[in-house]
Amino acid sequence: MFLEWGSILGLAGCGLWIFLKLPIETSQGFPQKIMYLHVPTFIATYLAFFVVFAFSIAYLWKRDLMFDQIAKVSAEVGLIFCALLLVTGAIWGRPTWGTYWVWDARLTTTLLLFLIFMGYFLLRMSVNDRDKEARLASVLGIIGCLDIPIIHKSVEWWRTLHQPSTLFKVESGKASPSISPELFTPLIASTIVMLLFYLYLLLLRYQTEIRREQLNQLLAETQV
Amino acid sequence: MKTRTKFVIGGAVILAVIVALSLQELQKMTVFFYTPAEVLASPAEFEDKTIRIGALVQQGSVDWNAQAIQLSFKITEDGEKSIPVYYAGVKPDLFREGQGVVVEGKMNGPRFEASQLLVKHSEEYTVETEHKKSKEEYYKSILSQ
Repeated sequence: MFLEWGSILGLAGCGLWIFLKLPIETSQGFPQKIMYLHVPTFIATYLAFFVVFAFSIAYLWKRDLMFDQIAKVSAEVGLIFCALLLVTGAIWGRPTWGTYWVWDARLTTTLLLFLIFMGYFLLRMSVNDRDKEARLASVLGIIGCLDIPIIHKSVEWWRTLHQPSTLFKVESGKASPSISPELFTPLIASTIVMLLFYLYLLLLRYQTEIRREQLNQLLAETQV
Repeated sequence: MKTRTKFVIGGAVILAVIVALSLQELQKMTVFFYTPAEVLASPAEFEDKTIRIGALVQQGSVDWNAQAIQLSFKITEDGEKSIPVYYAGVKPDLFREGQGVVVEGKMNGPRFEASQLLVKHSEEYTVETEHKKSKEEYYKSILSQ
């Protein structure tokens, strides 16, 4: 309840704040505002797939289907955020770079993440045995999540059109985000709200999944 | 030799070839753009090839003809070695002197003829005082367009 209204009202509030109160960024002007959707989305994507990674390992270790369930719903929500990430990136790229899409390392590895987790759900759908499904999906989930650090480091490892990290910029061993404070504060706020929204979607999907299982069980009992 | 063993060996050979080929290709593919120094060092290698060059727009080198929609400028990394670029197309919004750009096209003699001009902007975000004041004006200018 808190998560639902907190995150939705928070997102709306951030929207108003960003469009009505914030100053215009010097170099890019108006298109910079999509940063407040793009950056929180990528952090939510990272978190969603980190949860997939952690709970896939937990499943393989403990063989508890609950862990697999959490990995699965987090991957679903993560896939949505990843799609949103690609779309907001394209919309931002057109007015600033001059193109919706280029095949540079950052964009390609992000698309790869999206495709891997499309395959992840195809794999889940193609296996009938619940335990086997969980086992195979956990392995693919762990391998797929290894793309996250590659995405994050891609702008340092290769020459890309995408600019290096603003938020996680490190100068002489110290974290120093290269963004002026009046633009930085709302970025942090919208990131926190987006993470709450992720948590809300995750719990919602988890609950419906549990109820579906209960329903299937009841149906199976009545048929016997 | 058992059929199974043959399959395993055959499969391994095919896999090895695929991996080797893709690694080789990957090495080339991951170079999204060359630098002016690399292109100037071996002009023969880049002749008649569609390539991308990434660099900064040299100060005072921009010649924009809005009537003919033609853009000429020089790109450089260090301000010493530069390549003149010709682009017949619209000047991007963020195009300015000192800005990072990635141009795609071919070398024609000493000149680079670009078919695509992309802006590689920096990761720094700032607010100038004058922009703070003129925010309302800025919105009005967008709405009236």
